[in-house]
Amino acid sequence: MTQDVEMKEVPVPSNSVSSASPSILHNLKEIASLLETAAYTREVRRIVRAVRLTMVLRRKLKVSVISAFLNFALTPGSEVHSRLLSFLPKDDEQDMDVDTATSATQVPAKHALPELEMYSYLLVLIFLIDQKKYIEAKACASASIARIKNLNRRTIDVLASRLYFYYSLSYELTGDLAEIRGNLLNLHRIATLRHDELGQETLLNLLLRNYLHYNLYDQAEKLRSKAPRFEAHSNQQFCRYLFYLGKIRTIQLEYTDAKESLLQAARKAPIAALGFRIQCNKWAIIVRLLLGEIPERTVFMQKGMEKALRPYFELTNAVRIGDLELFKNIAEKFSNVFNADRTHNLIVRLRHNVIRTGLRNISISYSRISLVDVAKKLRLDSPNPVADAESIVAKAIRDGAIDATLDHANGWMVSKETGDIYSTNEPQAAFDTRIAFCLNLHNDAVRALRFPPNSHKEKESAEKRRERQQQEQELAKHIAEEDDDEF
Amino acid sequence: MDPKLTEVAQLFERFKAAFVRNDFDTCSNFLSQLKVKLTEFGSLPPLFQNTPNAVKELTLARDIYEHAVVLSVKIEDQDAFERDFFQLKSYYVDAHDRLPSSPQEHPILGLNLLRLLVQNRIAEFHTELELLSSAALENPCIKHAVELEQSFMEGAYNRVLSARQTVPHETYVYFMDLLAKTVRDEIAGCSEKAYDSLSIKDARQMLLFPSDRELLAYVSEDHPEWEVKNDAVYFQKAKESAPCKEIPSLQLINQTLSYARELERIV
Repeated sequence: MTQDVEMKEVPVPSNSVSSASPSILHNLKEIASLLETAAYTREVRRIVRAVRLTMVLRRKLKVSVISAFLNFALTPGSEVHSRLLSFLPKDDEQDMDVDTATSATQVPAKHALPELEMYSYLLVLIFLIDQKKYIEAKACASASIARIKNLNRRTIDVLASRLYFYYSLSYELTGDLAEIRGNLLNLHRIATLRHDELGQETLLNLLLRNYLHYNLYDQAEKLRSKAPRFEAHSNQQFCRYLFYLGKIRTIQLEYTDAKESLLQAARKAPIAALGFRIQCNKWAIIVRLLLGEIPERTVFMQKGMEKALRPYFELTNAVRIGDLELFKNIAEKFSNVFNADRTHNLIVRLRHNVIRTGLRNISISYSRISLVDVAKKLRLDSPNPVADAESIVAKAIRDGAIDATLDHANGWMVSKETGDIYSTNEPQAAFDTRIAFCLNLHNDAVRALRFPPNSHKEKESAEKRRERQQQEQELAKHIAEEDDDEF
Repeated sequence: MDPKLTEVAQLFERFKAAFVRNDFDTCSNFLSQLKVKLTEFGSLPPLFQNTPNAVKELTLARDIYEHAVVLSVKIEDQDAFERDFFQLKSYYVDAHDRLPSSPQEHPILGLNLLRLLVQNRIAEFHTELELLSSAALENPCIKHAVELEQSFMEGAYNRVLSARQTVPHETYVYFMDLLAKTVRDEIAGCSEKAYDSLSIKDARQMLLFPSDRELLAYVSEDHPEWEVKNDAVYFQKAKESAPCKEIPSLQLINQTLSYARELERIV
């Protein structure tokens, strides 16, 4: 559960080897000017870029750099300034003084932009969490959240959503998640009223995480099904949402939907988010097993995951063979892992699948077999194994797991000949779903294409542009119509 | 002591006296009065105010709802059970750090699991299960319900039925009887798919009827498609006929046309 917290974009390896603080400070100042431009031109995308650039600098942050930046960005002596400084640890005092002096002489201008203020909060918060100063981080996060509630600017939304995330993270790291649930719900309501979709997305995920942390699946599902949904703004948030959705559906036995969500989450997650992808894979493996599928070997051999997925690999093996004894041993052997992953209850559910697989193997190998032997082969340890075997087989037949009939008088099971699958419509249906998938993928890709505004304005004449726009509109309309047709 | 609290406590004593006498009408009467009185306490969920009597009030309220749940089982009212249980649940979940845990907690949670099983609400069953700690799962009352669910899923129905003899708590019997009915329907459903025919005697044993007459009544009422002749039950008619081999032309035309349309857009 805790592993998937750190799902960041890959820090772009910077070419500059020098990690001297002035250059970082310089970078930070560049970010600040980026934020300023963004605030004046109301371009949200620039803020996204600023946040991304910060993540690159994250590992190199030092107290001195941050305090210098605070002096630069905020009015020294203002309330925010002194509050933020008070969160920072008080070591390497000297170094700090030097930096303050230089920066103060460089830029005497005063900035009072809320964007910069929130960015300073974010910077300090990230630094505190990285330094494992969770108590201060909590205080800092709460202060920032209190301030955000009073700010209603679209350019803040991106920064706000990051702040929400670290707010929740700092409380999770100290184990007080339940405390902020009411506050998060409150923020979600505010974000909804302000049409801050990114904020809603982030907060919904944080709430789901909060509920699932305490295994409150019922509440999580109720919130999820009632919260407004819209097209995802952030890939990371969407991945998380899919993962939580997958978990909820697994618990509620909707395995087919759960599998889809979990696999999608694992695929969409950035390569660097290894912990998150491992979690997704673990759950996806169990769900596929519960569905009666056997995941391929390559799933377990993904780079960096072999070790973490080892228990699940052995579990899969036991299910594949259909050996109850082996299954029990493995469940016991790795019970620590399964308890830590909170998949123990799901593994208990798997027992039934092990029996099914065993039964299927028997039904394929024998055309007729006595129920006594079935019970022996399945290793059913119960006071009345034959009667158990009979009813288990009967249920498997009804659920369509095996194709056979029972003969009660003689006490045996007769398997039916398996039909030729190519004489049915099944291959055609499978082919159809694949084609539909490819075509949808293409359409989605077309729709997701994004062009920078004004980039080829000069090159094309007004007439040409009109023509192009018309074409684009037609295409969009066409796609929209097609979509309507399908429903 | 707070006069309100004393009043409720006294009323609850009278409720308990009636409860022991098995005078359920009086009990229900007292219970609705008690519930009204409980609304006056600020320390109860969802307010959780920190009043000086909070612990006493919470304990008393929890006790009352525990009795309400058991009462609802005794008067065989499943809706009342659900209502009372949900009120009680917040005492177990949200107030567990304010109160010493109740000895009744596990039996009642197990009872609720059993109820969900009987009503075939398996998704909710598992949602509830996730809330329990591993220590709670070892409790005999909870374990009983969990094992029942497993046997039920596997199809080991006689294990489900024999579990009636090992109920951990007397209140469980009511639900176990209901479960027996569900199990019978399940067995009937499986049998008609798995067997071509069964002799009357075997069918009677399998479906747990005490006499042939009741079996025949059950067949004619719930499964009129079964055929009874020569001292045996034939399920042939219930099985679906062989799949027809016709080509689904209309569907194919539709699909092909949609491919053509999509391809045209790409090219």
